[in-house]
Amino acid sequence: MPSEIITLQLGQCGNQIGFEFWKRLCLEHGISPSGVLEDFANDGMDRKDVFFYQADDDHYIPRAVLLDLEPRVINTIMGSAYSKLYNPENVYLSKHGGGAGNNWASGYSQGDKLQEEVFDIIDREADGSDSLEGFILCHSIAGGTGSGMGSFIMERLADRYPKKLIQTYSVFPNQDEISDVVVQPYNSMLTLRRLTTAADSVVVLDNTALNRIACDRLHIQNPSFSQINNLVSTIMSVSTTTLRYPSYMNNNLIGLMAPLIPTPQLHFLMTGYTPLTSDSDVNSQQTVNVRKTTVLDVMRRLLQPKNMMVSTGPDKSNHHCYISILNIIQGEVDPSQVHKSLQRIRDRKMAQFIPWGPTSIQVALSRSSPYVQSNHRVSGLMLANHTSICSLFERTLNQYDKLRKRGAFLDQFRREDIFKDDLSELDESREIVDCLVQEYAAATREDYMQFSVKRGAAGAGDAKSEDGRSGTSGGV
Amino acid sequence: MSRVDPVRQVLADLISETQAPYTPETIVREFRATYERRLPLQELLNILVNISVKRPNFNEVTEEVTDILRRKDPMYALLVFATRYSKGTLTSRSNASSEMTSSLGSKFSLGSSSDNCSSAPSTGHSSAPSTAHSSAPSTAHSSGPATGSSRISLPQAQDIPTSTPVSNRKSGDFETSSAGGGGGGVFTRRRTSQRSTGSSKEDRDRGDLSVIKERVLSAVSNRSLNSYRSLTSDAPSSRANIANGSGAKTPTHSVVAPTGLPDEDRTHLLWDYYKVDGKKLQKLEIAALPVISQQNVLLSELLHCLTGVRENSLVPLQPDHTSVGLAKFETSFAIHMQLDRSLAELVQDILPLASYFMGIQKIVTATDGQGQVVNSLNEALQELTHDYYLLIVQADAELKHQRLTLQKLLYYLQPTIWVLEEIWTSLVDIQLSNHCDAAVLSYLHERIKRLEGDRQAQRLIIGLARKAAEPYMRMLKLWIQKGVIVDRNQEFLVEDNEVIHRDELPEHYSDDYWEKRYTVRRGHIPSFLEKYSDKILRTGKYLNVIRQCGKRVMPTQEMRLEFDPTSELHVSVINDAYYFAARMLLDVLLAENDLMGHLQSVKRYLLLNQGDFTMQFMDACEDELSKNVDQVLPMTLENLLGLTLRLSSARNDPYKDDLHCELLPYDLVTQMSKIMNQKEEYWQSQHRLELSGIECFAFTYEVKWPVSLVLNHIAISKYQMLFRQLFYCKHVERQLCKIWKENSIAKKFSPQAAELYRSAFTLRQRMMNAIQNLEYYMMIEIIEPNWHIFIEKMKKVENVDNVLRLHQDFLDSCLKNCMLTESSEMNRSIFKLCNVCLKFCDFIQRSQRFFLDAELKSMVCDTHDSADSSESEPESSHRSQVQLETSLDPEDTFSERVTRFDLEFTGLLISFLQQINTMAKKNTADRFMNLVHRINFNAFYSDQMDKLCAKDAMGQANS
Repeated sequence: MPSEIITLQLGQCGNQIGFEFWKRLCLEHGISPSGVLEDFANDGMDRKDVFFYQADDDHYIPRAVLLDLEPRVINTIMGSAYSKLYNPENVYLSKHGGGAGNNWASGYSQGDKLQEEVFDIIDREADGSDSLEGFILCHSIAGGTGSGMGSFIMERLADRYPKKLIQTYSVFPNQDEISDVVVQPYNSMLTLRRLTTAADSVVVLDNTALNRIACDRLHIQNPSFSQINNLVSTIMSVSTTTLRYPSYMNNNLIGLMAPLIPTPQLHFLMTGYTPLTSDSDVNSQQTVNVRKTTVLDVMRRLLQPKNMMVSTGPDKSNHHCYISILNIIQGEVDPSQVHKSLQRIRDRKMAQFIPWGPTSIQVALSRSSPYVQSNHRVSGLMLANHTSICSLFERTLNQYDKLRKRGAFLDQFRREDIFKDDLSELDESREIVDCLVQEYAAATREDYMQFSVKRGAAGAGDAKSEDGRSGTSGGV
Repeated sequence: MSRVDPVRQVLADLISETQAPYTPETIVREFRATYERRLPLQELLNILVNISVKRPNFNEVTEEVTDILRRKDPMYALLVFATRYSKGTLTSRSNASSEMTSSLGSKFSLGSSSDNCSSAPSTGHSSAPSTAHSSAPSTAHSSGPATGSSRISLPQAQDIPTSTPVSNRKSGDFETSSAGGGGGGVFTRRRTSQRSTGSSKEDRDRGDLSVIKERVLSAVSNRSLNSYRSLTSDAPSSRANIANGSGAKTPTHSVVAPTGLPDEDRTHLLWDYYKVDGKKLQKLEIAALPVISQQNVLLSELLHCLTGVRENSLVPLQPDHTSVGLAKFETSFAIHMQLDRSLAELVQDILPLASYFMGIQKIVTATDGQGQVVNSLNEALQELTHDYYLLIVQADAELKHQRLTLQKLLYYLQPTIWVLEEIWTSLVDIQLSNHCDAAVLSYLHERIKRLEGDRQAQRLIIGLARKAAEPYMRMLKLWIQKGVIVDRNQEFLVEDNEVIHRDELPEHYSDDYWEKRYTVRRGHIPSFLEKYSDKILRTGKYLNVIRQCGKRVMPTQEMRLEFDPTSELHVSVINDAYYFAARMLLDVLLAENDLMGHLQSVKRYLLLNQGDFTMQFMDACEDELSKNVDQVLPMTLENLLGLTLRLSSARNDPYKDDLHCELLPYDLVTQMSKIMNQKEEYWQSQHRLELSGIECFAFTYEVKWPVSLVLNHIAISKYQMLFRQLFYCKHVERQLCKIWKENSIAKKFSPQAAELYRSAFTLRQRMMNAIQNLEYYMMIEIIEPNWHIFIEKMKKVENVDNVLRLHQDFLDSCLKNCMLTESSEMNRSIFKLCNVCLKFCDFIQRSQRFFLDAELKSMVCDTHDSADSSESEPESSHRSQVQLETSLDPEDTFSERVTRFDLEFTGLLISFLQQINTMAKKNTADRFMNLVHRINFNAFYSDQMDKLCAKDAMGQANS
């Protein structure tokens, strides 16, 4: 089967959201936790083989590779009802088991050391598929394993499989709460560099926004990880729904990504989902009936920032705009409504678009699983390339610069090979992310085509000039 | 009907006496049977013998009946038979038979019964004290002198014993003369009957006047049928002859018998005033008689005249051969001048009846064998004739009893005159307008409507029409019940044009089948079925399709189908049959043959609804289809298709094996412009040699009967047109995606280097945007909503014609809105756009390896150094590399070439959008504008267009 996708789950966060994702896929395809197809699920209108393969005894096995440097999450998974689902050979736990200590450098080095074993698994999985289309990587950018080891594996994958796509679901740290990981800005910066240069598309999952949505939209005080991850798994499953329930368009990963990403750098996507309901909502049946879910409604709500899974902060200059939008609409949809909704959005100028190229809201009408009951007539997911995503990177730049100015917490990085000689890796990463921010900023302007990167303004040659650097980032 | 017809009553009595194994009904049926189906005379006789054996007058009656049977219509024999044995009154058969006959008889019987004496002639006899045979002659004899008339011609001549030799001789003369004329079988036959009449009279000395009269009359009717049938064309000439004679005698007031006329010239049909015993007729000085006697003579003559027997005082005039219209079928009479005026007036009133009657008879015989409808009508008229004769017989009996006057007769006959006039005019109309089969029915129907005010005549015509429609309705019934046409005379409204057999031409059969196999003969629809002709056609058509599917057509219940203009019952019967057939065929198509499943399948593959299959097939066939079409191996494609079908999600589709590959000999644009029938002005259709596989490729979908009825050849062609456009766009999209992936390597480039390619990337994205929006537009905004509508309508569909129409509407709407059939220019624009994109993809792919080397190496060397160098530097270094492969124009740099592509693409796209704009202005109902809105969603191109316009304007101003 063509267009297979291998999912790589890295670190604590990556494995957690991956676990939720597979739970969700099993539910949608009627696959039991042990991988056996349920009796009711034999209409065969879906494509299970994108994400699963069938063992000799016909039971379904996820094309998933579970990697972690510490056993806690993986042990939880293997102790759950879904333990039989995974191919045990694809679960890799570092023998040393000490984790990466929330240190990007440690994760990266361990990735380097373990690469043979890891790529044995990945290669075997890749060889096992007829025509692999790409990899999906689940990780967070702030920790150690997901960010460090994830960065390493991304780089290797891009070298090793240059023709395959690499898409990541990257969880960005919550900015509203003070992280106990003090080197988070370093980790984020270093990972962002790899996301920029090695990944083909990055779906940004901003913990800030996820928490906000959980509180504001789902009315959950102090949302738990599993509740947040439930949100994430919804986004992951819906964004792959056109692959699993194929129709006219967007039936492979590249067809999904290519229209969204005009130039290779601008490949950070944000997502939005509506209508959102939590388990408590389903039970109480209170808020559900208030909503009238039409296509226009869904599409309109998807354009509201409060439904976005990325918290970009207020757009002060009001110049940010959409580079591209793909709406995946599920449910009972009259196809003729799509055009009307698009027309309305166009007429009312509900969305601002880039001035330098044609773009529109693409709408993919997707079938959805017959086995999962939704209490909404219509639901929609938006995958958008929006220039305001750079505020996230700016934020990271700011935090990084603050930390870097003080030269704080750099010792644990220096311990690893990659920083043995100097910290140029950090500076290069910063520069690349800075360029990215500039490019996103430029993409809001009409002269994007003529735009050229201003190299670190004050310090193209003098990378250590910290004052100049902060000034630059402020100016962007 | 509670009234039992007297004949049956008599028969029933007789049967109950003898306990014979018959019922009155069967006996009447046997006797009424047509010549071909009739039992042998002996058997008929046996029946009568069996039932009447216990009667005292058995022997005589049997003899008499035997005699009659031999010579005349059996029905007549039966009538006589019944008369002989009846105790009560025997009026006419009219009571039991249809309404039209009652209108003939009822008036008369009413009149008779008012005559306090028994009304029927036979009753008069049986009430006569002495035996009928002995008293009859005397009665006749006495009546003769009493009236002072020796020329009550026929009866007298035969009844008076002394005249027997004369009579005998007369018939002998007749025999010789006719034989001398070399008459054919018809004459011989007539002669025989004539002679037998004579001989019977000789033998048995039978003097019952009325009986004889009856016999004569019956002989007339019987023979007339036989003789007229074959020799219609001679009739005018013979009539001309007689007219010559009569024309000569009228002025002299002397009734000269046309004795000189050779018999064989005279008449070949009924007794069209053929003078039976003209030689014997004495010159009658009618004026010499008193008025009362005149009247009796006249009445007698008149009665004869009414049955077509020539008389002296009432002479038929020579028909005018030049006459047209009604007159052609009219007979005028010259009335003896010496007749009392008051009588003459009355006679004048009655005589049209004779004219009508003869007219009807002539037409009936003339049209015999002109198809089932006419035959059936004639049959009905024949029945009417029987009643008419009966009426005359009754009148004759009255006359014999001296109870008849001309006034009375006129009074009795008046309804009959009206009725016959009505029939006569109708028939003449039919004759004149040369109506046959269905047109006759239409005419009658029309007539019925026009007779709305005249109940009686209307009822009469209804009866006739119903009878005439019987064979037609039988055909109709067979057709709507079983789908069979048995129509030797090509009368039915549906025509079966079976030319090809299903097995011979499997693929082209279905579309032809539906349209051409059965057609309505427009000129052959009876007007009362006009509105339902379509339904009738479809009903049988559906049944035939069902049968061809190998299913038995089971008629649900007994179908009573007869023409009834009053109740319009046939309408509901037709409707029922139609709904039954439509429902059944629909079930066969939808339920048993899963039409919708097939359509889903077609949509999945030919309209690319199953996107993953399409992509997978493209992957598999990429190499094969990129070849020149002549090098593409159809077998390879077929194998790859089979493989893809089995490996993709299509493997669960039960109809996947119906899908096949096809390589058409032309590209879509050529095909469409040919279809649109436009001149090849500047578009040279690409030579086959230059066509690639992908341009010629199409899927095809083969289905079996009866699904092929819907998914016929034309429908599949339409699907293929859509498919080829979609497939080509998909191909372009795929190529763009491919270079997208290859280009994504640029994210590794130094930011400065990446800038250089931005223009290429954004151009690629613009192409992607245009192509994808075109695809989205066609798939999501056109095909899917139309499909949606189609499915919704299909849920309520009532018959297969509807299915066909809906399906065609769906396809046509898709074709039109996908810009395939609206104008070939749009189709060309799409094609050109696609080709620019493909060229660009090709260009980028070839450049890729050069700039990959350039950028990645330079990055490795030293980013900082290259960054410091001027921005034109990498471009110039680039130029040398790009030059190597861009042989077309070696002067161009990479960016210049991109700019050139940009200009070409933008130009094409904008002109395409403008085309749509103009098209949309012309026809606001179409959805073309949606595509403009899609591609130009953020008004990017309207700015571009404004700029271009501005530039143009400036350029013009400068120059």
